[in-house]
Amino acid sequence: MLTGVRTNLSYLIFDALRTIRENPASAIFTAVTLGFSLAILAFFFIIFVNLNMAASGLADRVHMVVYVKDGFASYGPDKIKKDALGVLGVRSAEYVSKEAALKELKDSLKGRESVLDAVDINPLPASVEIKVLDAYMEPMLFGAVVDGVRRLQWAEEVQYSGKWLKKFSAFLKFTEVLAAVIGVFLTAAVVFVVTNTIRLTIYAKKDEIEVMRLVGAGRAFIMLPFVIEGVLHGLAGGVVSIGMLSVGMYAVSANVPAQMSFVIAMPATVPVISAALLSAGLIMGGISSVISLIRFLK
Amino acid sequence: MIQLFHVTKSYDKSFAALKDVSLKIAKGEITFITGPSGAGKSTLLKIIFGSESPTEGQIIIEGRNYFRIPPREITNLRRRIGFVFQEFKLLPNKTVYENVALSLKIMGVGAREERERVLKMLTYLKIIHRANFKTISLSGGEQQRVAIARALVKDPAIILADEPTGNLDPEMSIETMELFKEVNSRGTTVVVATHDKGLIDRYARRAIHLEAGRVVC
Repeated sequence: MLTGVRTNLSYLIFDALRTIRENPASAIFTAVTLGFSLAILAFFFIIFVNLNMAASGLADRVHMVVYVKDGFASYGPDKIKKDALGVLGVRSAEYVSKEAALKELKDSLKGRESVLDAVDINPLPASVEIKVLDAYMEPMLFGAVVDGVRRLQWAEEVQYSGKWLKKFSAFLKFTEVLAAVIGVFLTAAVVFVVTNTIRLTIYAKKDEIEVMRLVGAGRAFIMLPFVIEGVLHGLAGGVVSIGMLSVGMYAVSANVPAQMSFVIAMPATVPVISAALLSAGLIMGGISSVISLIRFLK
Repeated sequence: MIQLFHVTKSYDKSFAALKDVSLKIAKGEITFITGPSGAGKSTLLKIIFGSESPTEGQIIIEGRNYFRIPPREITNLRRRIGFVFQEFKLLPNKTVYENVALSLKIMGVGAREERERVLKMLTYLKIIHRANFKTISLSGGEQQRVAIARALVKDPAIILADEPTGNLDPEMSIETMELFKEVNSRGTTVVVATHDKGLIDRYARRAIHLEAGRVVC
């Protein structure tokens, strides 16, 4: 099947290049469309990755405070901590005694400690500050952890930033779906454009393909120049996308508020992102040409 | 050895290009297929080549039955057959050299050997001065010589030539036939479809005469 392919690979590559050179308008259109689609894909991917990274960072700040019933203060910090850590999803538990809570309050009232002079006894309850595992930073699972903690016999009241978590989680879900939808549409667009370009080349070379078959060319010998052409279109699209993404990111970064700049920060080095874009273009170009050949090269 | 058993080729119900054709062409033989235009000469060659399938009948080429071998084997078999098409079937946007070299590239011949063989063939067929011209810019006679060069350059076991001298002047026609004779002397089977009576008389070889799709002698 590969007779003539191995010894003539450079000829087949040259043949693909010649086809591209003979149809410069089609090649430019394909590269620009592919580049544009890849750049948009990459842009959304970067935003998505950054939001996810931010989400895992913010998860550290989501915690709950469980106030300990008065009668259980003598239960012992170790026993209380052990109970809390026994609840599924709890990552860490920090016991804050009544005294520590009062000291913290006094510290926060620096300069105005006199307001507490009228109080003879310590009114503050002991509490446990609980942090939840990353995997449970999702409203439903987080709620299950809260319920688990609430069921502890010494738990008086549980406070947590549930509403904020719900909103942020919904927003992340939305960006996830949006990125997936855009990804599917743009990938389909890229495949369609390259498939169409290769289809036009196949039609233009119909007679040539027939002659090649007649002189004994196998499928691989006939198909390879088209696959190489698709791959070259993909690579050209990758190069275009690197340029478009750089310009796009520069333009967007000038208009994004400083506190939101993390959203468009590059999650990897420029060579890594460039290599990823070139690889994506190469793979999409190759796959599209194979699809076209299967469909149109009878 | 080429063998056809009761081969019929119909393009529609009312017209058969070949009707119940049976024949044998021995290895190393030169055979002319003769007959008027529309007699079925080209169809017969295409069926032997495997580019057309018969409606009925069996074909055995070099001991292999076309109906019992997979498509890939037919491709391999084609590499052993040099076909000079009546309509040349050259690649118009490729040069003379590239057209002739294509057969060798497909067979996986290395670059140096390819160059030697192509240049030798182009020299022999007196078309070397056009090696770097695109075939679209050549005259009919020149294109025919390129088509012949492409068929011969791969040293095929069988040469099928459909009116190979149709566009050549008498001198070039004789040179081409001499070339076929020389190739034949090395053991290659040569089948030439022609209606050139002078050519057949000159070479006095076996002739299979077709009329309205039937072998008449």
